Amino acid sequence: MERCAIVGSGLAGFTAYVTLRAGGLAQGEIAVFGTDEDPAAAWRRRAASIRQPRMRSESDGHCYAASFPGLAVREAVRRRSPLPLLWTAIDRYNPTVDDFLGHVKELRAETGWDESFRHARIGAIRPADDGFDVGRHGCFRHVLLAPGHPGLAVPEELGADPRVVHAYEPHEYAGRVVVVGAGMAAAHEWLNALAAGAEVVSVRRREPARRPLNVPRPMFTRRGLTAYHRTGNKERAELLRSWLAPSYPPGRRWDVPLEQAAREGRFSVAERLNGADRVICATGFRRGFRHDPLLSRLVDENGLDTHDRWIVLDENCAVPSLTDAARTLSLAGVPAQWAFPAADTLAGAKYAARRFLRAVRACPTR
Amino acid sequence: MSYTLRGRIESRLLGALVALVGAAVLGVALDRWWPLVLAGLMVGVGLLLDAAVYHRLLPYQPAWVAVPLGAVELGAVMGLAIALDVDAPVRPAVALFVGTWLVAQLLVHAGFPLLRPTYGEDGGELGRLGTAVTACCAAFLAFAGGIAWGTRPPTVHLGAGFHRGPIVLDHAQTLDGDGKAVIQGTVRITADHVILRDVTILAGENGVEVENAEHVLLDHVRVRGASADGIHVRQAQVSIRDCDIREPRGPNVEGIDISFAMDRPPSTVDGCTVEGVQDGIVTHTTNVHVEDNVVRGTTGTGIAVTEMSMGSVDDNRVEDAVGIGIFCTDYSECAIERNTVIGMRPELGSSGTMRAGFGIVVHYGAKAEVGENILAGNGRRIGTFSNAFVRTIRD
Repeated sequence: MERCAIVGSGLAGFTAYVTLRAGGLAQGEIAVFGTDEDPAAAWRRRAASIRQPRMRSESDGHCYAASFPGLAVREAVRRRSPLPLLWTAIDRYNPTVDDFLGHVKELRAETGWDESFRHARIGAIRPADDGFDVGRHGCFRHVLLAPGHPGLAVPEELGADPRVVHAYEPHEYAGRVVVVGAGMAAAHEWLNALAAGAEVVSVRRREPARRPLNVPRPMFTRRGLTAYHRTGNKERAELLRSWLAPSYPPGRRWDVPLEQAAREGRFSVAERLNGADRVICATGFRRGFRHDPLLSRLVDENGLDTHDRWIVLDENCAVPSLTDAARTLSLAGVPAQWAFPAADTLAGAKYAARRFLRAVRACPTR
Repeated sequence: MSYTLRGRIESRLLGALVALVGAAVLGVALDRWWPLVLAGLMVGVGLLLDAAVYHRLLPYQPAWVAVPLGAVELGAVMGLAIALDVDAPVRPAVALFVGTWLVAQLLVHAGFPLLRPTYGEDGGELGRLGTAVTACCAAFLAFAGGIAWGTRPPTVHLGAGFHRGPIVLDHAQTLDGDGKAVIQGTVRITADHVILRDVTILAGENGVEVENAEHVLLDHVRVRGASADGIHVRQAQVSIRDCDIREPRGPNVEGIDISFAMDRPPSTVDGCTVEGVQDGIVTHTTNVHVEDNVVRGTTGTGIAVTEMSMGSVDDNRVEDAVGIGIFCTDYSECAIERNTVIGMRPELGSSGTMRAGFGIVVHYGAKAEVGENILAGNGRRIGTFSNAFVRTIRD
């Protein structure tokens, strides 16, 4: 009997599915609801749009349930070379996008994902006596919501401009390109446009932070999270805003082409748009639960506690007022940032999934 | 990995538990305490650095940092082992440390993440397993410490002044002269795990006799007036450190003679000064390492490895002597490296060609590897006689 539902068939949902299966749940115990059978479809489109060759994540940026063996070890074995291990020892290993997608494909086949997948757009989740009603698909005692990012963000003033395209949509480069934003996608677009021979203007409101991963490394472990979980709502929201500001990794791979282009007069920074032929909005995603109809309805119908643009969650990513010993409603992916600042990464997806698994295992009715 | 303090400590202790068990096995196999003492030092140093240094300085620790941190810990552990006079041979001790370090790295990067999928997220904490491991380590160390304390040999301190010999040491103990005790007559050792330390012996026939014993340490022993051997070892394994032998009574005295111990672990002679005897340091049918000694004024041979002995003669200084500086003979196998042999003179009136003041002689079927020795001011440099074989390395 299916007792667990995963709503959302992207990478966060897929990671949760793999974790549950590795944790002992049978394929028949889990139902996955989503709009695309391929868990990497949305991510692949975005990575292809910004022509991303390598992941920002490192060796453990994968969907396997255990962090070992990571992608570096697997590549070292496959290539019969110690180099990936050496690179990962000095934190310079970033798997290729192709390798990452390959491992998703392999895991998808191994875990029976396709058999658990149901093509359905879930419009509402409602608490019931013995769990949660998932639309017309029945009642599930444990539900993990992994709805993904709620659409692409384009500055209002540019919405109607025909020159504008979002970085995460397929596009080509004109002779003069303006890139709005200063995060990972923007950094890729600067290099791509320069490589295509364009003159690039970076329009940004602030200087991007330079760090290897989305948030400072201690925030991926209990070392940083313990203090983070002790913060009050206001302080936590401020922390999240500062960490979620645009950033991209340090390193010569990024700096050398930009410095050379700047010397040649082909790269410059500006505060506002000018008359470029092409404007690329590398401005990420819309932020906040209000942009997601499912989450917005869930909050309104159940009076969930929220702060600013976040739903207030327990440390284990569960929705406090709808979770007890016999049922669980958890969030994964970007809506779980209240519990785990880097929730929209693979590490974050695993963080949510492992705690969801723990709740399922601890459930007295299982 | 961004460790929590608890995570660091639990990860270290689980790795250390493997080391402690390994050290216990090694200790039992060798019948020695040093592996356990060393493992205890490793745990102690590691925990101290975890709590006082690493946790504060390293909010995030890349994998490569384990290498310099390991080197720092190795230096600290070995330094402490020397300071605390732990009787640990250097190479096995380093090997134990490195092996333990490698096991710990394997556990941290592969074992623990497999055992506990949330290991990384938890900052290295191991949950209930960590608590159990901490308790096990504490119990293990307390148990081993209790046994060590309960079974430690007694220490007898000799008072300053003269003590009439002979003295027979026939059970495990430490006899410490504290630098001021003088024994008139021979000290005879017939038991394992005896330490004779910091005494002066006005010898009878022999200064010290060691027979049928192992793990015997002669530390800072001074022998004067021996008429046969300064230190006389038969069918035994000894570590002789920083001894001083001189002023023999008679022309045929040997400074140190270690013989007929091929079935015993290697003996060592390290840091000794032997002066004015016929033969300085002599071995017969024994595994031996002779290192960092000074031998001067001998009339026969400075250092002799004979009668199918196997051993190394390294970093010694033989000077102002007659006959042969370093002698490897009678089917022995010797490694003779980095020694300084100077001022060897021919034996007057001797017709033997070997006695022509050679720095090094290899003789009668012996095999020697010879390298990086300084041979100066001698009658001859290196001699090979009677089907002996010399292989020169790095000269």
